[in-house]
Amino acid sequence: MAAITPGSTRPSTWRRRSTKYTVAAYLFITPSFLGVLIFIAFPVFFALYLSLQQWDGITAPQFVGLLNFVNLLKDPIFWISLRNTVVYTVVTVPVGVLLSLGVAQLLNQRVIGMAFFRTAMFVPVVTSGLAIAVIWKWIYDYNNGLINDTLTRLHLAQIPWLSDPTWALIALCIIGIWQGFGFTTILVLAAIQNVPESLLEAASIDGATGWRRFWRITVPLITPTLLFVSIISFISSFQVFTQIYYLTNGGPDYGTYVLYFLVFQRAFVQNRFGEAAALSYIMFAIIFAVTLLQMRLSRNAVNAAAEFEV
Amino acid sequence: MHAKIASEQAQTAMPSEQARARRPKLRNRVFAKRVGFKVMIFIALTVVALIVIIPFLWMLTTSLKTVTESSTYPPSLLPAVPQWHDYSDVFQAVPFLTYLLNTIFYAACVTIGQYVCCSLAAFAFSRLQFPGRNALFVLYLATILIPTTVTLVPSFIMMKTFGWLDTIWSMTIPGMLGSAFGTFMLRQYMLSIPRELDDAATVDGASLFYIYWKIILPLCKPALTVLAVITIMTVWNDFVWPLIMLQSDSVTTLTLGLANFTSGGSQEFNSIPFNMAASTMTIAPLILVFFFAQRYFIRGIALSGLGGR
Repeated sequence: MAAITPGSTRPSTWRRRSTKYTVAAYLFITPSFLGVLIFIAFPVFFALYLSLQQWDGITAPQFVGLLNFVNLLKDPIFWISLRNTVVYTVVTVPVGVLLSLGVAQLLNQRVIGMAFFRTAMFVPVVTSGLAIAVIWKWIYDYNNGLINDTLTRLHLAQIPWLSDPTWALIALCIIGIWQGFGFTTILVLAAIQNVPESLLEAASIDGATGWRRFWRITVPLITPTLLFVSIISFISSFQVFTQIYYLTNGGPDYGTYVLYFLVFQRAFVQNRFGEAAALSYIMFAIIFAVTLLQMRLSRNAVNAAAEFEV
Repeated sequence: MHAKIASEQAQTAMPSEQARARRPKLRNRVFAKRVGFKVMIFIALTVVALIVIIPFLWMLTTSLKTVTESSTYPPSLLPAVPQWHDYSDVFQAVPFLTYLLNTIFYAACVTIGQYVCCSLAAFAFSRLQFPGRNALFVLYLATILIPTTVTLVPSFIMMKTFGWLDTIWSMTIPGMLGSAFGTFMLRQYMLSIPRELDDAATVDGASLFYIYWKIILPLCKPALTVLAVITIMTVWNDFVWPLIMLQSDSVTTLTLGLANFTSGGSQEFNSIPFNMAASTMTIAPLILVFFFAQRYFIRGIALSGLGGR
């Protein structure tokens, strides 16, 4: 099936064939493209439209311009949610990334039972956030939960995990770190394993201790992966929802009220869809800005690491 | 320090008699140190693994206790007599089987839909030339970066307008069609399949679809398995979407059902062992699949940047 029919040199013949080809190509894309267009691209613009309306879902929407944004910025609950979300993220992400860095390095030491450890650490990742919330709600139980039980046996005071605003946020951070670190560890481990052995051996011959080798060679070389892991950890931590909905429902005293939870409340409990959409756009902007910032700040380190790529 | 001396020793060309006499002692010490080091690492890893596993063990042991056992003070570690009845109670107290079948159905539909749509598009993006290809692909990539917060509220209103709220359609159609990630992943994989196969087939008179269906797709089995694993996991564990889209028991998923019946008001639903048993049963299927398909899970999750949220 040659592209040019024998004996024909007329351009129209060529064009006809390539048109058929092009149409076929577009047909291949159509199902997926339609889906992406309708269910992802369109909602993004629709949300923008919604954020400029005041709508309860039943009566007609009312155009109010930027009023939703202004109201949000004046709303103390917005600022509380922002604070809680920031605290949650600032605790969960660095601790999680550093922890996975450490555990990944441990896993890289090639001790027996590596496969078992890897599997064990991964189980929280494949478990649904909700089931984990159910388990931890019981663990955090004041009288009979696992932690307070252990504290009692050690004759220490029991901690009001879910009834005190500060402790509740700490409790959620623990869950967040616990669930996420298996996944980030696998990624970091893959990166560490890619560091060329020869570099590390050369360093040890020159007298560098393991500690030094780790911090001066391994870590700089895996900076791209660390950046990637930080970014995705940030994006998912910033949008934490399930644990809050199940464990504390935003309480006590708004102590665990986070931004995504506020979106949910505004939209589905208070039926203020316009404000919810506006808030989701503010979240979008923050996520976008912080991600850009992270990438900009680590550009030097990432470029240096890239230069080492063999 | 000893390691340095040992390596220096190793580097000397002709070890003297003195050095040879010294070496066994140093070698033993170095060996012992290395073993000690490994033991410490093993212990550290065991501690980490325990921290990860203990909540699940606690869930299991609590599910086998009696109600009084779980709420006596101080609580016991293990049940006196394992109570298995909570597991069967779950089936009777809530429409667990319905939830399970619903979830399996949704997961299957979305996976098949993703297979069809994403592989077709990935084929086109990786092997066909057409105007606007690069721009379209950039659009696809851009949609992957959009956080779910933004699409949540508009999606709800769209589903409401379509009349798909509280039906199977809201749980299947968007998932089947609306994901750029699968396309992206399959495209990357397809790029590594040599073009010569396509050309050979074309010369033999194959149509584009034939090349896709009979040649390229069978070669994509590893990537397709990874995609299946990620998709099933995402659909199974999803909470927010079913939460806002579904209401009736007949269409509820397992995860949503778990939330509903463990925080409901009635006496039975406040029984802790019951909750733990229900929780175990909800996560057990996926964990079983995980144990059997570990390789694909880990590869898939590493590729995707998604976690079990």
